[in-house]
Amino acid sequence: MSKQKEPYIPLDMPRVLGSKNKLLSLWHLMRGYHFHYFVSTVFLALAAFARTGMYVFLGTFIDRMMNEGLMGPELTLSALTFGALIALQALSSFMSSWMANFTAENSTRRLRDYLFDHIQRLSYSYHSESKTGDLLERATSDVDTLRRFFAEQAIGVGRIVMIFIISFIAIARINLRLALFSIIIIPIVLAISIVFFKRLSKAYEAYQEQGAILTTDLQENLSGVRVVKAFARQDYEIEKFDKENAEKFRLGRKFNWMHALFWPLSDIICSAQTIGSNFYAATMVLNGVMTLGDFISFHGLLGWLIWPIRNLGRLIIDTSRALVSFGRISVVLQAPEEDMTAATYQPEDGIKGQICFDQVSFAYEKDYLVLDDVSFSCEAGQVVALLGSTGSGKTSLVNLLPRFYDVTSGQILLDGVNLNEYSREFLRSQIGIVEQEPFLFSCSIRDNITYGVHREVSQEEIEEAAREAAIHEVILGFKNGYDTLVGERGVTLSGGQKQRLAIARTLLINPRILILDDSTSSVDMETEVQIRAALDSLMNNRTTFIIAHRIQSIMNADLILVFDKGKIVQMGEHEVLLNQDGIYKDIYDIQARIDSALQEEIDRVESI
Amino acid sequence: MSNQYNEEELDDVVDLKSGVVGRLMRALKPYWPQMLLAIIGIASVSYLDAYYTVLNKRIIDEGIVARNLPVMIGLFRNYAIVVLAQTVGFFLMIFIIGRLGEQLRYDFRKKLFHHLQNLSLSYFSKTPLGWIMSRVTSDTEKMADLLTWGVLDTVWAVTNISFAVFFMLQLNAALAVIVIISLPIMIFVSFKFRVKIYHHYRQSRKANSKMTASLNENITGVRIVKALRREAKNLDDFKVLSTNMYQESYRAVLLSAIYLPTIQTISAISLVLILWRGGLQVASGAITIGVLQAFISYIMMILWPIQDLARVYAEMQNAIASSERVFSLLDMQPEIRNREDLLPVDSLAGDVEFEDVSFHYEDDEPVIKNLSFHIPQGQTVALVGTTGGGKTTIVNLLCRFYEPSSGVIRIAGHDYTQYPLEDIQSRIGVVLQVPHLFSGSIRDNLRYGRLDASDEEIEQAAKMAGAHDFIMNFEKGYDQDVGEGGNQLSVGQKQLVSIARALLAEPDIFVMDEATSSVDTLTEALIQKGMHQLMSGRTSFIIAHRLSTIKSADLIMVIEDGQIIERGNHKSLMRNKGHYYNLYTKQFRHDLETKYDLFADQEPDASAA
Repeated sequence: MSKQKEPYIPLDMPRVLGSKNKLLSLWHLMRGYHFHYFVSTVFLALAAFARTGMYVFLGTFIDRMMNEGLMGPELTLSALTFGALIALQALSSFMSSWMANFTAENSTRRLRDYLFDHIQRLSYSYHSESKTGDLLERATSDVDTLRRFFAEQAIGVGRIVMIFIISFIAIARINLRLALFSIIIIPIVLAISIVFFKRLSKAYEAYQEQGAILTTDLQENLSGVRVVKAFARQDYEIEKFDKENAEKFRLGRKFNWMHALFWPLSDIICSAQTIGSNFYAATMVLNGVMTLGDFISFHGLLGWLIWPIRNLGRLIIDTSRALVSFGRISVVLQAPEEDMTAATYQPEDGIKGQICFDQVSFAYEKDYLVLDDVSFSCEAGQVVALLGSTGSGKTSLVNLLPRFYDVTSGQILLDGVNLNEYSREFLRSQIGIVEQEPFLFSCSIRDNITYGVHREVSQEEIEEAAREAAIHEVILGFKNGYDTLVGERGVTLSGGQKQRLAIARTLLINPRILILDDSTSSVDMETEVQIRAALDSLMNNRTTFIIAHRIQSIMNADLILVFDKGKIVQMGEHEVLLNQDGIYKDIYDIQARIDSALQEEIDRVESI
Repeated sequence: MSNQYNEEELDDVVDLKSGVVGRLMRALKPYWPQMLLAIIGIASVSYLDAYYTVLNKRIIDEGIVARNLPVMIGLFRNYAIVVLAQTVGFFLMIFIIGRLGEQLRYDFRKKLFHHLQNLSLSYFSKTPLGWIMSRVTSDTEKMADLLTWGVLDTVWAVTNISFAVFFMLQLNAALAVIVIISLPIMIFVSFKFRVKIYHHYRQSRKANSKMTASLNENITGVRIVKALRREAKNLDDFKVLSTNMYQESYRAVLLSAIYLPTIQTISAISLVLILWRGGLQVASGAITIGVLQAFISYIMMILWPIQDLARVYAEMQNAIASSERVFSLLDMQPEIRNREDLLPVDSLAGDVEFEDVSFHYEDDEPVIKNLSFHIPQGQTVALVGTTGGGKTTIVNLLCRFYEPSSGVIRIAGHDYTQYPLEDIQSRIGVVLQVPHLFSGSIRDNLRYGRLDASDEEIEQAAKMAGAHDFIMNFEKGYDQDVGEGGNQLSVGQKQLVSIARALLAEPDIFVMDEATSSVDTLTEALIQKGMHQLMSGRTSFIIAHRLSTIKSADLIMVIEDGQIIERGNHKSLMRNKGHYYNLYTKQFRHDLETKYDLFADQEPDASAA
């Protein structure tokens, strides 16, 4: 594969997952950006210093003006210094915010890429057991929660704490008692703020959940619009929706009420402190303990000491949420990936396709064998048909060939070599799969045909494959031909058409081994003949495993395996099996019976 | 893409039609007292914000500098009163406006939902569900936000700036001029920034949804990805999307990071000028220290309303675009409406007649061409033919989900457009191929057929439909939850429930689209029995797939290309050896193959191979 230059240093996942503390894990997620984050913190401090310095300088400026009367160049210089401090503060804030966001955006982008790759490389069984929506949620919104943590919460808590400390020191330098007096309400505000934001976040969740209920309601109403109309139930629907709508209204009011209470309440508390401290400071000036300049410095600093604390609660609650999100992500990250390249055996002139199952058993879970002591072998280029009911083990058997799963006991030999000695990467390049109703990707039809064909393919070659798969005409029937986007409005492909696309694709891939799900999609006679021809040309000269649904595709098979409850109950060629009592003969007889039944039916109508 | 239903509307450029804004504003009409109160409240809060600085100035000049304790105490007392007054105002304002916001959201959603219930089926078949959903869920939010916080923030910002300017002019006109000159610059820069930030933010949202879609697809199709070893290529593709997301998001946050420091720096320039000029004036005694301090405060404070103003401005365009879409939905007229002179009916029992009926969707090719037939009351009609031939359209016309483009449909002797729509639709019982159930219990779903049905009646209908036994097998019986869209039930079970639901409604005409997916033999027999119950004594139209249904029909119509190409009963059509004969023999073969298949092989997870 082409290794393009990565825009970032790779993650050190073992360290991220190995850390005992989640905050430490988050720190490792920032790998390569620690320096940026450090710079961000330095500028954070610088901004806080500059801001504090600005107020302190303002005080001195006023004192000097009052005492000596600043004139001429000295005044100009002072004014410029003041401006420079503001500019320094602004610049530092920018630098800090820039670096923090740089870290956050880069770390999360890398995490997103990592997760995408990790998820697609998780084992087959992992995907069978997990829900798409849940995985998606973890890889998107939980990652975004982390991004906000890096960009806002981590740096936000630092900012508030740093400003608090530096302002406090500056005030303490003016007057220690005043400084101590000014932070009396801090614990109260902090406590209220944490309690409030905790409750708020709950109230908000309830509000959001009700929103989801309302959305589901709406969606069901819209998708069931025919039923609603058929029973003329519009009024009933309206009543139902109104009830949920009113509930959302109620929850919204509750949510709003909390806001209306918290902000003015915390305002009053903080204002009380502001007035008290200012008054205290003013009397100190009157008593000659402090200068007027000190008062003005203090007046400015006080605001930065008190008011930001109100937001600390939110940041703390959000941080705890980020940790929860990380927990959810790390569950996915901990799941092991498939090892694509572990084994290395790779014959120089490719494989031939001779396959031997030697006492193969397989179980998804312990104690429940899906395949039980299966043994058979076939030569290169032969056709093996698998017959049996749902859950009899056919699908499990073919899943073993590309090593989607590995055998529980026994062994599978490919050209005499144990399958486990081939790498998954190599094996899958040798095996083509045509499903009954293949999944198509939302790209053009051309891209779907060349999907997984790991080489450049010319338009002629694509069309030739499509023609062979009896799908060329269908594609030309679309407005944009091969450029038609799958899933575009008005473009729907039937199951059979999708299957033929997959046949075309497999023809281009040209694998040695073929796994085929031979279904009876409802198509007209002519198309059925075409598909049959397409399949025949596909199977030609390739070892083929057919999951069979009808006798026609079986009759010519070199080997027919009849499955029941994970075991092979009958095995052999058509002629042989036909002469045995058993399931196979029963099935075959049915076909004959159908023909005679039909004739009877027709005769009956004719005779009346 | 020129798709008018683009999921994420990103066309930031909307010509601000005054019509839309005016119409949006009219939504506030019933709430004008609250709105007025809130505006007065916010204006007072804003006035007091600016007044603090004046109080501070007096505390410095008249209290501290003048060394007058009693005056100072008095001023601090005033300060406390102002804080209290402002807090009350603040509380009321959040309370009123927040509540009003919820109220408007509620109103908009309600209005849209009501309107949607009246729109015709044709609207829903040509409008993507997601598009409609976004109008009801997210657009209404944006509209309400603009009308409440948007208006309020604007009022606050404008009054705040005005009061500050007013007080500054009173304190010292010469210094005030410096601030007044810097104001438009800061506002201009702010607007520019905000619009840009918002643009990138929206772009990043768009990039994000693309990224999510790609991830979603990769998880859904992971088996193919693995089989075809596309992992590396897919990761490369994904990286393009995630890089795009990164760039847009990074631009948005970078601009945000530059924005505030930039206007701070601009304000620093005017601050330097104020200090310099003010300092000179203090030295010459023209102004007091308090005035100088007041100016410094004003300059620093005025940054907030400017930011707010810019934010509202940036978001406003989008909210107006939202309103435009919502209004366009509300302006949509239902295509099928009641006529002027209605002929109310209790019963639709009677003959059904199609006379020269043609139908086409908008400007498309006709789907039904000059169709005529007459069905006597109580007969059963089977419609057969290939998919896309027009069978479903005929049924949709009969149910008056659509009306004929030309020709007349008569039920019980009258052109059916003379009847009230509700009467027709409630007198025709419909069972769909893929039955739609609503989340809730089985009982709720059955009761959908007749809202005032008693529990006994519900059970009786279920028994008649053959649904009773499987329902009783559930742990909670009739109170069993069916899941979203009824997905906890099998297709066969859903069909039984929907037959029972139709039975409960006691329709005069029965319409059914038979399921094509095979169900187990027992369920099949139950469905047959249920259908039989429904068909007895009622004029029935069946889009038939089952041979037994077709054979027992009084009339079979083979529909192809919007026309009846063969009609008659089973025997006559079989003798014909035409289209029907071919369809029948093929279906016969298929049915028996399925029936005799020892494995009953449906392989539900074969696609997972």
